[in-house]
Amino acid sequence: MGTDNVRLVFEPFTKPLPNIDLDNQPFWDGLREHKFLLFRCMTCGAYYWPKAYCRFHDNEPFMGNLEWAEASGKGKVFAFNIHHWPLHPGFKEDVPYVYALIELNEGPLISSNVIDIEPKDVKVGMPVEIVYEDHPSEGFTLPKFRPATT
Amino acid sequence: MSSSRKYAVVGLGVVAGPQPNRTRRQVAAEAVRLAIADAGLKRQDVDGAIEVVRGAGAGERATYADPFPRVLALPINFFFSIERGGALAALGISAAMSFLDRGIAKYVALCGVVDDWTKAQETKAKGLRGMVHIEKEGAWGRPVGDLRAFSHHSWMASRHMAEYGTTSRQLGAIAVAERAWANKNPEAKMYGRPMTIEHHQNSPLVVEPYHLLDICLISDGGVAFILTTAARARDLRKPPVYVLGQGFGEIIRELWWEKKNYTHMAVKTAKEQAFKEAGLELKDVKCAQLYDCFTGEVLFQLEDYGWCKKGEGGPFVESGAIAPGGTIPVNTGGGLLSCYHLADLTGFAEAVRQLRGEGGARQIPNCDVAMSTGHGGELLAPGMCSIHSCTLLGR
Repeated sequence: MGTDNVRLVFEPFTKPLPNIDLDNQPFWDGLREHKFLLFRCMTCGAYYWPKAYCRFHDNEPFMGNLEWAEASGKGKVFAFNIHHWPLHPGFKEDVPYVYALIELNEGPLISSNVIDIEPKDVKVGMPVEIVYEDHPSEGFTLPKFRPATT
Repeated sequence: MSSSRKYAVVGLGVVAGPQPNRTRRQVAAEAVRLAIADAGLKRQDVDGAIEVVRGAGAGERATYADPFPRVLALPINFFFSIERGGALAALGISAAMSFLDRGIAKYVALCGVVDDWTKAQETKAKGLRGMVHIEKEGAWGRPVGDLRAFSHHSWMASRHMAEYGTTSRQLGAIAVAERAWANKNPEAKMYGRPMTIEHHQNSPLVVEPYHLLDICLISDGGVAFILTTAARARDLRKPPVYVLGQGFGEIIRELWWEKKNYTHMAVKTAKEQAFKEAGLELKDVKCAQLYDCFTGEVLFQLEDYGWCKKGEGGPFVESGAIAPGGTIPVNTGGGLLSCYHLADLTGFAEAVRQLRGEGGARQIPNCDVAMSTGHGGELLAPGMCSIHSCTLLGR
């Protein structure tokens, strides 16, 4: 993927803000650098999101055997819906929007919007890839997904 | 060790309908007063109290701290609250049984209250919609539009449709069946408002694939009940409703990982435990009060319990199986979709009434075993609800 997978948004962010805490800070830092990080077990290679102790064997204290690692940012639509009502004023211009559960190629599920497609054309099983939506004035980047280009 | 038939519900108090000028505290206290009177007991008899709370179960702060036992001056030896999704009645019963078993209490009063309707009116006045007051920050999802329970619950319907070809009309058949039941229940919010499948299909698409009529009501109200031992239950005013068996399931470990809980609920262990304790089989259940925050949850439970095969819930409900006159009456008071939404207390209260023969126009003939389930508790929005409870009640 080139740099066409980045969107710059200069308008003020009027939606609910992301809930960034000590556990997920590296994930959000990665997004700002346009890296999609998942939590990987260094012992067996299993991926997690959100972060978790590896479920396949015993763990080092405080997840010492896991690390944030760059992932493909690719996956498939596992399930989705189309929001027709703006349930928050910040989404008035967005409806109808697709909110989907994405099954990442590495295994975990993540949820976000599927963009760059008519909502009625989204299908379960459709391959998608990451788009980084930068909000420079807010200091964070949101991960969104679009139909796979490669 | 089985506790089957050792404990019984002896009193029921229901405060239903909008309560715009009353506090939660007032509704709770009144529901408990009604339950005590229904049992033919006096306040002085109640020596334990448990408040059941619909919530995440992860340590949310109490919203008020002057609970019903103080208002009613109950001479209790313990009071605490239990909170976890929509499995309130089930968890409350489970805790109360332990206190009764050890002789710490003789009569335990349990109560749960919801004030969503009143809160939603305040939300409306601000130009917003629905249940803003309970939708907290969440660990993930709100910036990308995960704003209400149906923002993620509707994925269950989406996934079931993709895997098994289930249709919106089939989900609609669940809403239509429950409305038919509600039209036999004067206490139901939707009493006197019949619904056809066309009404369902023509109702607004709120969060596709869900139409407005796939979504539960927003309600006010409270349900209280008194639990005691079988020996004490026999001497009271109303016929005892015995706890025959209980079971619980929890699929926290499958959230985000196993991906199964988008077509299944945590029924397996709940069903096994409850039916084993009761010494019963599924065919013994005369009516099922299945947690129905959305139509999809009903479909999943019909399949997971085995009234039909996995994936065949759509044709099953379309055949009229759960409607009046069907093979397994489901949510006979109208459920959360058409009666009122007080979490599993809605179905629990209806099960008690059916077993007492108080069902009026909707009474199931020879109803000796009723089932009431609970579900809910989003832990990690948009992680799906993971608790499931099954309570078997009987005459």
